[in-house]
Amino acid sequence: MAHCLDSIIDALDVETFVVAKDENEAKEVIKKIMTEMGLKDIDVVYCQHLGPGARVRARGYIFRAGDKYGWLKGADGK
Amino acid sequence: MTVSKKVVLAPMDPVHDIGLKMIRRALNEAGHQTWLYPPDYSAQEIINAIIEHKADTVLVSRTLGYGVEELLARFVDLLDAAGLREKIRVAVGGMAIRPEFAAELGFDAGFGPGTTVEEAVAFVEGREYTLAEYATQKKRYDLTSDYHYTFHHANIKKLLDQIAGQILSWSQGKSSPGIGRALLRQAIIEENQAGKDAASLKKEYARLCDEVISNYYTKGTLHPQTRRLEKSELDALSDYLKLTNSRMRAIDLRHTRSKPAVFVQYGTGCPSLDIGHIKVAEAWGADGVVHFDPSWGARTEGFMEGYQTHQEDGSVITPENLQCIKSSLLDTTLWQVRAHRGVNTPETVVLAANAGADLTKINIVYGSLGGGTDPERLLVDGVQSIKFAAGYNMPFDVVTNEELSGVPAHKAFAGMLIVANLALQLGAQPILQPLFCNSPEVMINGYMNDNYIDFNIAKILALREIVDAPIWPGAPIGFLTQTEERVQSSVSTCLHAALAASCGVEAISIASSDEAYSGGPIAAASRVDTLKAVKESFRFLGKAKIAPTEQAAQWSQEILSGIEKVLAQVAQEGDFAQSLYKGLLGTREDGAYPGRAGRGTVYKVHA
Repeated sequence: MAHCLDSIIDALDVETFVVAKDENEAKEVIKKIMTEMGLKDIDVVYCQHLGPGARVRARGYIFRAGDKYGWLKGADGK
Repeated sequence: MTVSKKVVLAPMDPVHDIGLKMIRRALNEAGHQTWLYPPDYSAQEIINAIIEHKADTVLVSRTLGYGVEELLARFVDLLDAAGLREKIRVAVGGMAIRPEFAAELGFDAGFGPGTTVEEAVAFVEGREYTLAEYATQKKRYDLTSDYHYTFHHANIKKLLDQIAGQILSWSQGKSSPGIGRALLRQAIIEENQAGKDAASLKKEYARLCDEVISNYYTKGTLHPQTRRLEKSELDALSDYLKLTNSRMRAIDLRHTRSKPAVFVQYGTGCPSLDIGHIKVAEAWGADGVVHFDPSWGARTEGFMEGYQTHQEDGSVITPENLQCIKSSLLDTTLWQVRAHRGVNTPETVVLAANAGADLTKINIVYGSLGGGTDPERLLVDGVQSIKFAAGYNMPFDVVTNEELSGVPAHKAFAGMLIVANLALQLGAQPILQPLFCNSPEVMINGYMNDNYIDFNIAKILALREIVDAPIWPGAPIGFLTQTEERVQSSVSTCLHAALAASCGVEAISIASSDEAYSGGPIAAASRVDTLKAVKESFRFLGKAKIAPTEQAAQWSQEILSGIEKVLAQVAQEGDFAQSLYKGLLGTREDGAYPGRAGRGTVYKVHA
């Protein structure tokens, strides 16, 4: 496979706890992390802020319906 | 026959030895000689035991992670120094162990978390362990064979028969473009099977379609949201399936219970991605999968053909797309193609049956009041669809999704029972699909202020008091209780699954942990979340039951009397289509709106 992300069936989720003053700040932080990771089609699936920060789950879609899926490439990589 | 082995088992751990005890029992039952030592023997003491018993195999374990590398490396060094390493087979297991880690240290095998006792026995006996060898033999479910459809409530049965008679009498001599296309589709399939050209039939078919579909047959253009899958994509999919199926095994989620069958819904938009998701769901234990088509598919007259991908939610129904999905399924996987709500209902039943579907979904009432189709049109189409389903011997569920619009359960159940009894009159096999959900009715009346158990159980009790029929709560269970947080979502789904299992229902449809996330498509990983959670809830429940409070029985009686009252009103109205328009099975205030798709398209046929 040309790229390791081609093995992902559809989306890459990143879950963590972000130290932040509120939900908006946490969302901005996780979006920046996803962008710096090189993910383009991103969204915050879940974000809940309590006390010191936020439990977050962000998602980067690698393939959406109708795309040419990397994991479906034939043995010759085409 | 396996040669008896001499096996020393030693936990190299301060306290934990349960795994080795279980393995020892299995080895003894298999006729091997074993010596199990207490926890915390030194490496040298274990080696002395190997020498003393002339053991040919040694199994050591380690649960704690600290110091594990040094301890195990020293053990292998001592085996070497004693001249034993080449003479015996050595394996290590435990929570801290991974196969690659064990191999690096010089062990013949390493068994980490999730290892089965059978796997360890296979190692001792020098056999290759294959997953399939110990996989539970999964059965293919038959959701209807245990039921006789006996009615226990005489007055409800009498009213249902009266209404069924009215529907059959009213629909006599009526047809629609949807029925016309379904009959043409049957003829096209027959022509294709006979190797004949169906071009003239397709021309006729195109005349009964909306323009966007008609253009496919006359101009070769596609619906704007779809594209044809290329040959290279289909070839790659075929290769992927061969490879994936060679390593698939069907696991059973139910632990000690025989039911419910667990269904997962798919409809990513693309048959290839659907198949990707289906293989994930099957691998993690789904017993059945349900095809979701695009919402525009229910309101657009006619189907296209060919392998097509859709770039939004819902996978387009074409003969080729359905056949492609069918070809991917394990033999044990049940497949439902929904036909319930739109202007293509009869043809969907025809296509589903011919593609090899096990089940379909038909509900005239929901499709008319919550699905956007004109009641009169769906009544004519629904009757014919049920006749098709009966002819194909294909059971179908009758879902009460109008509850999600706000229609009270007793009205939705009255509609479900009308369709189910009509199906019985026509020789079909209906399955009742009440929702396990936090519906608007429930929220307004506070039925679930204390728990999610009583009102859901009340629904099952009421239905069972009326008829002996299979029940398949859906769709999905726990609807409107899940949030975007995947742990909460999975827990809610699995607790509803346990409740359904406790009720002894035949099947359930479950959500993914993305159920409440609306920002994008469902991800395959989220299907694993809920399937794993449901498996754990069945393990937790076993054959035990969940007890409701006294409230469940009271609500059950209220639902029952509500159903009877609604049926009496419908029977008195005398015209079922008018009952739907007039709101007897759900008013505008309830949130039910008679649909408009296909309005004015019913026509009389001449004998």
